Amino acid sequence: MYDVDVVVLGAGPGGYVAAIRAAQLGLRTALIDKAEVGGVCLNCGCIPSKALIHAAHVLHQMQTASKMGIHATGVTLNLAETQTWKQGVIQRMVNGIMTLLKHHKVQLIKGTGTFSGPHSLQITTSEGSQTLSFGAAIVATGSSSIAIPSLQGPDILSSTEALELQTIPEHFAVVGGGYIGLEIGGFLQQMGSQVTVVEMLDKLLPAMDPDCVRVVERQLKKQGTQILTQTKALGYEKGYLQVETPQGLQAIRADKVLVAVGRRPNTRNLGLENAGVAVQDNGLIATDLQMRTPVPHIYAIGDIVAGPMLAHKASREGIIAAEAIAGKPAARDFKVIPAVMFTDPELASVGMTEAEAKAAGYTVKTSRFPFAALGKAVASNAPEGLVKVIANADNGLILGVHMVGAEVSNLIAEAALAIEMGAVAQDLALTVHAHPTLAEALMEACEGVYGHAIHAIN
Amino acid sequence: MTEVKLPPIGEGIAEGEIIKWHVQPGDTVAAEQTLVEVLTDKASVEIPSPAAGVVEALMAKEGDLVPVGHTIVKLGTGAAPVAEAPAAANGHEPATALPVDAPRPTVLEAISQTILATPSIRQFAREQGIDLNRVPGSGPYGRITREDVVAVGAVGAQNSVPQPPTPPMVTAAVPTGATEERIPLRGIRRKIAQQMVKAKFTAPDFFYADEADMTDLVAYRSEVAPLMKAQGVKLTYLAFLVKAVVSALKAYPEMNASLDDDAQEIVIKRDYHIGIATAAEHGLVVPVIKHADHLGLRAIAQEIERLSTAVREGKATPQELSGGTFTITNIGAIGGLVCAPIINHPEVGILGFNKIYQKPVVYQGEIVPRWVTTLSLSCDHRVVDGAEGARFVSHILQLLQNPKLLLLE
Repeated sequence: MYDVDVVVLGAGPGGYVAAIRAAQLGLRTALIDKAEVGGVCLNCGCIPSKALIHAAHVLHQMQTASKMGIHATGVTLNLAETQTWKQGVIQRMVNGIMTLLKHHKVQLIKGTGTFSGPHSLQITTSEGSQTLSFGAAIVATGSSSIAIPSLQGPDILSSTEALELQTIPEHFAVVGGGYIGLEIGGFLQQMGSQVTVVEMLDKLLPAMDPDCVRVVERQLKKQGTQILTQTKALGYEKGYLQVETPQGLQAIRADKVLVAVGRRPNTRNLGLENAGVAVQDNGLIATDLQMRTPVPHIYAIGDIVAGPMLAHKASREGIIAAEAIAGKPAARDFKVIPAVMFTDPELASVGMTEAEAKAAGYTVKTSRFPFAALGKAVASNAPEGLVKVIANADNGLILGVHMVGAEVSNLIAEAALAIEMGAVAQDLALTVHAHPTLAEALMEACEGVYGHAIHAIN
Repeated sequence: MTEVKLPPIGEGIAEGEIIKWHVQPGDTVAAEQTLVEVLTDKASVEIPSPAAGVVEALMAKEGDLVPVGHTIVKLGTGAAPVAEAPAAANGHEPATALPVDAPRPTVLEAISQTILATPSIRQFAREQGIDLNRVPGSGPYGRITREDVVAVGAVGAQNSVPQPPTPPMVTAAVPTGATEERIPLRGIRRKIAQQMVKAKFTAPDFFYADEADMTDLVAYRSEVAPLMKAQGVKLTYLAFLVKAVVSALKAYPEMNASLDDDAQEIVIKRDYHIGIATAAEHGLVVPVIKHADHLGLRAIAQEIERLSTAVREGKATPQELSGGTFTITNIGAIGGLVCAPIINHPEVGILGFNKIYQKPVVYQGEIVPRWVTTLSLSCDHRVVDGAEGARFVSHILQLLQNPKLLLLE
């Protein structure tokens, strides 16, 4: 008899969800994490960044509302106070998870777990060390920011540190034009920083729909952000980031520098070799469709397995793993994982891009609908945006949907459902969408697939 | 680059199953060279290349159901790099470089990406242990419905993906002893399975059998068969039965019919196309004697022989294997006193022809040896009632027992 049926290593959005589902299925479950429950997502990622982005957005709206007749003067943002509010948001969500874990009788152990054998975990807590034997394990240890060796020092920040800033840097540089860099750089710009984004590649977000990215890039520049592509960060000294642009060397003023060039899976120092689980060269762990590693009672989910490093993917995989352990026929067979980016305006994407669909051999029909033709968007003072539908030209099946604009992080859910359900564009076109809403954009874009969107020149 | 699409294979045939690729990506092909063998509802067809070129990608896997008009091969000039067939991708994503600059939406491949089934149907299929890759979709755009999954489950299709649920806490290796063999349900076998399920679950059938005294017919045939043989015609009992069945179908037109469920109409057929269920190498097929009412005994006998040769050599066309209005299954060559055949949907009746043998019979007050056989009829009771079916069989019996009457037909 093992101490627990299931041990979950890591209490992020993958791990704590897996633990709750395992407990719901009647398994005696322990959840191990050295930090607060919720992981990076809740404590230093998705949620805190959204709080700060929201605050910056409110500030920005107040500052730019004069054309609506709102003349706000003396509006200031005290970042330290904003941080206190943000901390309250996090605490509230952490408490919620703690309540759920308690309710489901998940044994939460605050400590560091390493495998000491196929069925045993050595846990180091503040009180000392203990061994926990388990029937099955779910490894959900997530990922960490990648640092750049040439960029070190107190003014070089990871995303976690950038989200803890107590004062607004006058000049701020972001190394890495991915979504994390653009989200953080974006809100700091709105809070008053002069932000420079440095990207090695020739464009931002190269894997996203280029039309959508262009809108974000235009807005960033409009708000004053400087974007340097094909530029390499070389080092940092005395308030200046040295970069190499195609035009030559350049020094960029930066009181703080965010390094957001990617994340690496946390699969080192877990003692996985003691359990017989191999880590691939890229740091990931191979699993089958039920998240089972080659060691059949050990499962891996989230950022440490193949696929995008996204909280919602980890959560679903956690549920699949827990159900598989309970003997249920769960499997990772979702067709798509939506991706959202909280830039201003937001970006959202699900399924294939036009380029991917063509590469996969489809004859595609694409249709775009601009937010500028949408009453609700214009009336909300948010006319920048578009919805783009990629459909199979043969039968109208929706292959991908890409969006940029206000609230598209919410709108993308409908597109994800459509793809999972195997909908054709006509299904969405014929579904009555409430007026006036931003959601009408997807309906119109789907009408456009057949060349007869009402509010666009097709 | 040329996209080779699955051409129209036959009237009313909307899709084909990829049975065997004759080319691989990178192969140089000549015009008219066979690219692929495709199985339709009725027969297998070889699809030739419309042009010379280099195969860049195969757009379907063996076992895939491909709609007519769908691209099956990408043909290049040979200058372009060879693309990889997307269908070849499986659940494993390429090992990408570590830094992820953006949360890319990812298309996962738990089941074939082209499969259309809602998430709840996918879950249902997993619960049933059915691999959706093997379930043909009957819904719009080939979408797999819950009923499609049930239908495949009913014929006992076996699962492969995902793994059978592992009981909790079991670490022992899966037993490796081969106590069973798993054969993918493919090709004609899959078609038969689907067709039988459809027939059995659609038509509430009743079964009726009666015995025919064949003594006079046996005597008559033994008289004329050698003469026909001299003319190169193999005169079988089946030819007589076809003749008798056509006569009975004319007398009982509801037997030569189908039920249009959607329109709620019984469709009486004016053509008499008699299918002969025939065991072929890969399974059951039904070659059809078209317009049997216009054919004499000799012509029927010749047509039976021509079709059975075509089936045996695998050369029967989809047209020859479809369009029947009533089916006869001739099991007598193997044996059997009686059988309960399954209706060849959407027809409403099937007649089983069993062995002709001698047995002691009370005939004109005396026990004498007589040649007899049993005629076994299965009918769709939605269209045909029991009394009618019985009279239909009696009509055939009368003709078989009195060859002179049969010859007048």
